[in-house]
Amino acid sequence: MLILSIDSSATAASAALTDDSKLIGEFFTNTDFTHSRTLAPMIESLLQVTDKKVSEIDAVAVSNGPGSFTGVRIGVAVAKGIAFPDDIPCMGVSTLESMAYNLTLTDCVVCAAMDARRNQVYNAMFRIQYGEVYRLCDDRAISLIDLKAEITEKYNDDRIILVGDGAQLALRELMDLPLNVELAPESLRYQRASSVALAARARIKAGEKPSAHSELLPSYLRLSQAERERKEREQKASE
Amino acid sequence: MTEYISHSLQETETIAGEIASTLSNNQVVALLGGLGVGKTTFTRGLVSAFGVDSGVHSPTFAIVNEYQGDVPVYHFDMYRVTDEDDLYSTGFYDYLGRGLVIIEWSENVLDYLPADTVFIELAYGEDENTRIIKRK
Repeated sequence: MLILSIDSSATAASAALTDDSKLIGEFFTNTDFTHSRTLAPMIESLLQVTDKKVSEIDAVAVSNGPGSFTGVRIGVAVAKGIAFPDDIPCMGVSTLESMAYNLTLTDCVVCAAMDARRNQVYNAMFRIQYGEVYRLCDDRAISLIDLKAEITEKYNDDRIILVGDGAQLALRELMDLPLNVELAPESLRYQRASSVALAARARIKAGEKPSAHSELLPSYLRLSQAERERKEREQKASE
Repeated sequence: MTEYISHSLQETETIAGEIASTLSNNQVVALLGGLGVGKTTFTRGLVSAFGVDSGVHSPTFAIVNEYQGDVPVYHFDMYRVTDEDDLYSTGFYDYLGRGLVIIEWSENVLDYLPADTVFIELAYGEDENTRIIKRK
């Protein structure tokens, strides 16, 4: 199954092509927010040098959040745009989950953290065992103080490895505690398309099917104002 | 805190230019003050010191205007932005650290601004052309 994977959920952007057994090609840049201009040409170049056509792609996987509002929107919009003409099915993968796949080489607890500003991070915890990734909690926005309390209570016997652009923030909060905690090396610390591909491949192996591109949505872990107002209205109406 | 008194639009721009010379390229500047108090005039003076000499107007509907000066300048109007989720969905956080950020109607987002934000409060003075400008 030929999968095109895309990530532009924060400052870096990347695209990867994988089949069932190998990474065929990957294009990664970290040039700050230029995704609206660079992501589509990156994918075009990737297809060109790997000698593949859009029509050969069986599924498009994209990290659909959490992350930067603009970045997540661009990634999802590009995925939909590529999928639309040939009705290619799509799969949204949690940015945090994809980063856990950076670290499948060693048994550990992965603390994926992305900077959500004002001493908060987008976070999820994963356990890596024999190369498999097990999710320990849902994606969430959490204050660094609450995260610290949870890690101290639940993971004080584990080797904890931090990934994501909030890893440094989390480390600063955790380093004075008697915990076995470390930063992932830089080459493995951030989200990238090849990890999105690995997460998508694992989900497909577990029986999940990519869905219609129209069902692909960003997942910000925040409600837009319109959504909140509608919720409030509905709540009022039901009272 | 520094206080300035302006007696005209021109003078407001000059004061803004003076303040601009003390700011870093990635500074967030939050303007406080009601309708007609000179926030846009102040902005015009501030950004002209950063090499933007035309096209400055309040982005009430667009929420953000981008100007290319010596550094990128991002001019926000938060009049219609009322909470943190709103602010996130303007893309505000994606602009921080990438250029000068100036915010009109910053009253609406005070709790969510970076810790090193420079605040400029504009208020009416004794007569109709006088303004009191405070930097905090």
